[in-house]
Amino acid sequence: MVPITYYLLLAAALFCMGMFGVLVRTNALVVFMCVELMLNAVNLTFLAFARMHGDGIGHVSAFFVIAVAAAEAAIGLAIVIAVFRSRGSVNVDDIRTMKH
Amino acid sequence: MNLPNLTLADFLPLLPAIIMVVAASVLLLSEVFLSATASRGYQAVLTVVAAAASGAVAVGLMFEPPQEVFLGFGVLDPFSSFLTLVVSVGLGLAALSAVGFLRKRGAERGEFYALMLFASAGMSLLAMSTEFITIFVNIEILSIATYALTAYLRRGTRPSEAGFKYFILGAFSSAILLYGTALLYGATGTTKLNDMVIPLQQALHGNPALVYVGAVLIAAGFAFKVAAVPFHMWTPDVYEGAPTPVTALMSAGVKAAAFASLVRVFLTVGKGMDPKLPLMLFATLALLTMVAGNLMAIPQRNVKRMLAYSSIAHAGYLLLGVAALFVAAPGESFRVLSASSLSGGTPLDVARSDALRGILYYLLAYTFSAAGAFAMVSALERREDEEKGTAWDLERFAGLAQRRPGYAFAMAAFMLSLGGIPPTVGFMSKLLIFQAAIDVGLVGLTIVAVLSSAAGAYYYLRVVVYMFMHPVPEGAQPLERNWGTEAALVISTVAVVLLGILPGHVTDWLAQAGTLFGQ
Repeated sequence: MVPITYYLLLAAALFCMGMFGVLVRTNALVVFMCVELMLNAVNLTFLAFARMHGDGIGHVSAFFVIAVAAAEAAIGLAIVIAVFRSRGSVNVDDIRTMKH
Repeated sequence: MNLPNLTLADFLPLLPAIIMVVAASVLLLSEVFLSATASRGYQAVLTVVAAAASGAVAVGLMFEPPQEVFLGFGVLDPFSSFLTLVVSVGLGLAALSAVGFLRKRGAERGEFYALMLFASAGMSLLAMSTEFITIFVNIEILSIATYALTAYLRRGTRPSEAGFKYFILGAFSSAILLYGTALLYGATGTTKLNDMVIPLQQALHGNPALVYVGAVLIAAGFAFKVAAVPFHMWTPDVYEGAPTPVTALMSAGVKAAAFASLVRVFLTVGKGMDPKLPLMLFATLALLTMVAGNLMAIPQRNVKRMLAYSSIAHAGYLLLGVAALFVAAPGESFRVLSASSLSGGTPLDVARSDALRGILYYLLAYTFSAAGAFAMVSALERREDEEKGTAWDLERFAGLAQRRPGYAFAMAAFMLSLGGIPPTVGFMSKLLIFQAAIDVGLVGLTIVAVLSSAAGAYYYLRVVVYMFMHPVPEGAQPLERNWGTEAALVISTVAVVLLGILPGHVTDWLAQAGTLFGQ
């Protein structure tokens, strides 16, 4: 059996990749995908720990996270569409009208 | 699997949130039967009535003994009921100031108020949650509704930009917080705060890295939500770009609920750690937030943006209060005793519960002052100026005392209160927090707080100077009046002045409200 530590390391790596992506990528959709990657890394962590503890809390938590991520995707994509309609671009660098 | 046998009485603690959700559903459903031109005046009234009803129920629940609800997924204690009251106040004032705002833009729809109510229900439940997944779900309930509200006005570039920034950084911070909870779950095997204390201490001996990394990630997630420096970048843009009533709700309700949850989580998670660690963490955040928030607000001529930076500074004063909760004598763990058991406590116990009282009073004070100030901003702004970004310029306030003395007086009261100048509620609440911080021995930090709040008085008083001493600009458009905005202004002015003059009753009552479950 693969040790729990490997799962945790994989999840940590995915989480860091997602975090890095949110901070450096410029396409709004890619940034959004990176947030999803972070949430899925959390899911993997929850599941690995659930196996370790041998209880159901981690499994249930992962389902809640998936449900919430779906709701977030719905509202997030709607906002990205609103951004695209108002400026014809989803580049994060273009979204900076307010600067003083 | 044994399912809990719930009775109707188990749902009573959730009544404030249930009222809000039912009102929101009624608003959403009624929208189906309305034609595009039908009168929608009742929607704001229904929202305000729901807010008043939940506030009243919360006041009633405040006298219930602290108890677990739903198997420890949440608690009902005076602390959570007080926070529900603060949220209801913020919701009511924001809904009142939305009446005129939406009518001027032809954007009056049931969804707007429904989203406000859903967000408030999430805030109220967040203050009660004591289980990490429940906390996460409630944070998302309030955040997702607020993202939608921020981008609600689809025309124009600003709201969608603000909505996008808020969404990305909000989702990012939620993910960080969630990762922290996953690590704590791994270390302790539970996600319930009330079950966590003993496994947490075992984990601190066996595997401290998981606990510390988890706690830091959770703190970072909350720091985003309360807009603490260095996690504040989104605040000015989002507060400026969002519709003004939504900004009022964000600055009042979202912040209060996030602070409540932060306090609740860290009073448990910090147990067993060296008390210096949470103290250092919150003291550093408080220092950076107070100083940077005030410094960045000083050059702002845009009043709405200035209020955004000022809300960062106020988060800093609140964090000073939070830091004061974690001061402990050597060998002692911090605890916040309830009012009834306080007589047997040490002076440090008394000071710590004073700090908690101070935080609660400050949240109420800030809700009234900020919601009032944003109601005023929304009364003066005009849609045509929004794209140019001049809708919130200081010039809008010039000569207001001659045009509308009542408005000018109300705004002056809010500015004095935000600046912490007597005889307003802002002064009393700052006094409580600063005094508690000195009593626990955070003298240096309190001196910085006093100095930075003195610097803050400059930009608040500048608004007052513009209103009372500058002439009315030529070609100024006549001001439209609206019953909703004026009601919000009257209510918040009366509260700001009365709570500042007669704080005695309220602080006695707050001693009761500072009772947390399990402390």
